[in-house]
Amino acid sequence: MEVVDARAALAPAISLVCAALVFASADNTFWRRFFSIAAALAKLVIVMSMLPGSLRGVVYTFKLVEFTEGVGLAFRADALGMFFSVVSSTLWLITTIYAIGYMEREPNRRRFFGFFALCVSTTVGVAFAENLLTMFLFYESLTICTYPLVIHDETPEAMKAGRKYLIYTLTGGALVLLGSIVTYQLAGTMTLSQPGILPLEAGRTTLTVLFVALIAGFGVKAAIMPLHGWLPSAMVAPTPVSALLHAVAVVKVGAFGILRIIYNIFGVALLRELGICTWLAGLAAFTILAASVVAIFQDNLKRRLAFSTISQLSYIVLGAALLTPLAATAAIVHIANQAFAKITMFFVAGSIQRATGKTTVHELAGIGFRMPYTMAAFTIAALSFIGVPLFAGFVTKWYLSLGALEDGAWWYALVMLASALLNAAYWLPVVYTAFFKTAPTAEVEVHEAHWTMLGPTLVCAVFVIILGATVSVPGMPFALASAAVKFVFGM
Amino acid sequence: MIAALWHNLDYAASVILFCIGLYAVITKENLIKKFMGLNIMETAVFAFIVAIGVVDGGEAPIMGPGVEPPFINPLPQALILTGIVVALSTTALALSLIIRIWRQCGTIEANELREVE
Amino acid sequence: MTPWPPLLALLIVVPLTGAVITPVVGRTRAVRSANWSLGVMLATSVIALVLVVQVARAGPFSYVVGGWLAPYGIELRFDEFGAVIAVICLLGTLAMVFSRRYAARAMAEQRIPYYYALLLLNLTGMIGFAVTGDLFNLFVFMEILSLSGYALVAVSGEKIAEMAAFKYLIMGAISSLVILLAIGILYALTGSLNMADVTERLGGAPAAPLAVAFGALTLGFMVKAAAFPLHIWLPDAHAIAPSPVSAILSGLVVKVGIIGMLRVYQIAYGSGAVDMRTLNHVLMWLGALSIVMGAFFAVFQDDIKMMLAYSTISNIGYIILGLGLASSYGMIGASVHVFNHAIIKATLFLGAGALIFQTGKRTLTDLAGVGHAMPWTVAAISVGAISIVGIPPTAGFVCKWYIALGAVQAGHPFFAFALVFGALFIFIYYIRMVNAFYFRQPRDPAILEVTEAPASMLVPVLILASLCLIMGVMGSVPLSFIEPAVHRLLLPLGGG
Repeated sequence: MEVVDARAALAPAISLVCAALVFASADNTFWRRFFSIAAALAKLVIVMSMLPGSLRGVVYTFKLVEFTEGVGLAFRADALGMFFSVVSSTLWLITTIYAIGYMEREPNRRRFFGFFALCVSTTVGVAFAENLLTMFLFYESLTICTYPLVIHDETPEAMKAGRKYLIYTLTGGALVLLGSIVTYQLAGTMTLSQPGILPLEAGRTTLTVLFVALIAGFGVKAAIMPLHGWLPSAMVAPTPVSALLHAVAVVKVGAFGILRIIYNIFGVALLRELGICTWLAGLAAFTILAASVVAIFQDNLKRRLAFSTISQLSYIVLGAALLTPLAATAAIVHIANQAFAKITMFFVAGSIQRATGKTTVHELAGIGFRMPYTMAAFTIAALSFIGVPLFAGFVTKWYLSLGALEDGAWWYALVMLASALLNAAYWLPVVYTAFFKTAPTAEVEVHEAHWTMLGPTLVCAVFVIILGATVSVPGMPFALASAAVKFVFGM
Repeated sequence: MIAALWHNLDYAASVILFCIGLYAVITKENLIKKFMGLNIMETAVFAFIVAIGVVDGGEAPIMGPGVEPPFINPLPQALILTGIVVALSTTALALSLIIRIWRQCGTIEANELREVE
Repeated sequence: MTPWPPLLALLIVVPLTGAVITPVVGRTRAVRSANWSLGVMLATSVIALVLVVQVARAGPFSYVVGGWLAPYGIELRFDEFGAVIAVICLLGTLAMVFSRRYAARAMAEQRIPYYYALLLLNLTGMIGFAVTGDLFNLFVFMEILSLSGYALVAVSGEKIAEMAAFKYLIMGAISSLVILLAIGILYALTGSLNMADVTERLGGAPAAPLAVAFGALTLGFMVKAAAFPLHIWLPDAHAIAPSPVSAILSGLVVKVGIIGMLRVYQIAYGSGAVDMRTLNHVLMWLGALSIVMGAFFAVFQDDIKMMLAYSTISNIGYIILGLGLASSYGMIGASVHVFNHAIIKATLFLGAGALIFQTGKRTLTDLAGVGHAMPWTVAAISVGAISIVGIPPTAGFVCKWYIALGAVQAGHPFFAFALVFGALFIFIYYIRMVNAFYFRQPRDPAILEVTEAPASMLVPVLILASLCLIMGVMGSVPLSFIEPAVHRLLLPLGGG
């Protein structure tokens, strides 16, 4: 059932208003904080108010402007989009609070919070995009809005990372644009409201080239190897930005784009016919393992996190590429699972950096006793990545393996297992160092971070457990993911 | 071939004149000579368009007693009158620019001016 | 509101007489000439607005000056492509406002009235060019605007201004001559100068002279439009001219070549006698080359106005590519980019002008950090930069989308590829610019002490920057406005 409802457009718009207010508030700290938090809350309320309807199967649509027939700015909050926007708006609120604590003494805070809000606006815009053009619009805007955040420190290193980031993502954007144009020419529409719009008559070669272009375009942001180069470099950004980049906005938008391309542009039936997804699945499996191996050798905590992100994102791609309902469920759910676990870890890394100035793993000896709550949160996230039952990460691995078996591709289940071992190999040493090694004695007194930073960390950690433990409870995000899968597979 | 050329002698002459002008514009270093080349090109085009209006055995198109058709087409001549006015103002502007260049740089040779830049 | 054709004559008469009177008005006090020319421009804008509304409601209409009938009299014809007069009036008015402070500092007081007179004359020439229905008048108006353009370039008083103006003059005069030659051939073939008449009588004309005529027209207009490799006059002229003049030259005067090309298409397709396929192919390649080479040269510029001048070549490349594709989407995109690029480039040139006026510096290296000192101007420039690269939701995106779509539609996906990746190339140098303004350490800390531009400069820049955004979000308005004209144009090809 489709309902015309302005809330679908209001959700992206509210962060836009927030950004404008933040820029207008000059250097007044109070109003900047007030606007940031109020907008985050308002957005969460708007998205949540659509959730019950969405769970019942209602789809909210809203057309803003139309360029020519069928081409325009239009929003459509279907189950998949709702899932993504629930995750991102929840995390926006949490990250905003964290960022207020983290950025306490940084320069250029107005610019930071302004573009921060713009990023979330564009992310929800991507989530609710009704057609490929709207999606591209927000996808490109996101690139531009994150650039000032990446180079926030204005150091030569940051500028270099920013340049790299732009070259990668804008090339990706250009591919998406070309793909959109060809799609429009072939299908006569660009809507994302159907389970597949491209006809097989367009020719296998054309469709294959189009698929590669579109997947590569979104794959840059989803950091599929070998398109991942920008992500570790972008680590120079302030920690809340990394958290946002890695958990909420940029990479997830890439992964979400891939889901949309596979499910709503090509459609499962057409892709089975083309058989090209086996290649994508193979590439994703390779990325999962290779990135994990690289992560083991990273001593810098944030770089280790970056490679872990690359590995985890390919779970989503793999799940989508397997083209089975269970794997698809895993792919969608992993958007949330990875987001909450990864953001917990980034918050922890940021808190440690603020409290002690330490950035590498081997320096963390004994930190578990000085910052027990922080490191407990870290442990929860680590266990989730390893895939221990009752934690969020387990759900993904379980359904992904089931989905692979459903397709008869048992080797992907082995990939899951290997990945679990590799995750253990690079996360458990961190936990071990923090809790079981003694700290150097000449250490200055170290305390837990300020509550504005500790609070969000703990909340995220709790979410990791909730997501893992409440799969079968109705009304939880999992139900939304199932609804999306049912639509895509026509069940 | 020769006959065709002879028949269209006026057009052929315009083309040759045009090429001479273009040659001067491209190769001459002195700005005034360059501009004279442009003037030659203008003349070529004007001559061409006036020649269009010629009617074999036609009279000058001045109405009066005892003047019978056929007339020479007067419209191209009227147009070229305008064209000459335009060319004149272009020349005036170009020459004033050249004077200012000479005052500022002390030379109007294009190759020397490039060094001044 | 039914069309009232005599307005068309007023559209030219008002600014023309205004231009002639300007030096008289400013004889005693220069500021009077500024006010007077602004008033004239506003009056012209009102007329233009009424006309555009009329054409949107009732379609094209024409007016025969002095009542002589079509083949003999002078006909003014106003169609959707002619609606470019709206943007001519807008930029003209804003450039007048912007010039007030600029002229007061840059030139001797007794010269100021002549500056405004030339500016008005230039705008008149463009307006006349856009609305005339007669080939010879097309030439005359083209010369009016070219001559005033050459003179305006020399006004700035920079060291090599006269040389740049001279170079511009030589190239401009040659291209005008080539066009005049083509007009002569068309007259010889048809015995008429009225465009509609020529179109009708062209059927059955011998192929060889036709090919020469249309080839010459295309060549001439491509020089005017500064397509690569015929662009050599443009960078110096546009970079050295006074900033408000640069905005007019880059935003509007090069478009004369494009509007001329549209008229050529109207005659060629309308008569059905001319095979444009070869020429279209040439245009496509010229367009693609211009996009890439313009961007390539721009990357190496440190002078901000030089960079903007090269970027004009790239953007003209978009338009030429769109025309050459001869598909409805490409043509619509190209026509709308004539409007949008004018607005975007004027934003950038006027913004850059404000920076140069306030700081006295014009290279990116020297201007580093100016974003903190002049936040509004630099924000406007950034909007312009994003827009010209074609990142949504700005004005540039709409056109890029349509032209790329046109390339795919016409069966030339390679050109869509060239366009989209050419745009990426353009982005490289604009990001350099924005980086320098915001994120680089100033070379000379004194730049942080500079104050924001005066209101008479800032307001035009901000108006234009917001138009960049509005034209992006409301992109459908100009698109649907121009669509009937493009379909009429391509109808002989089977509806495009």
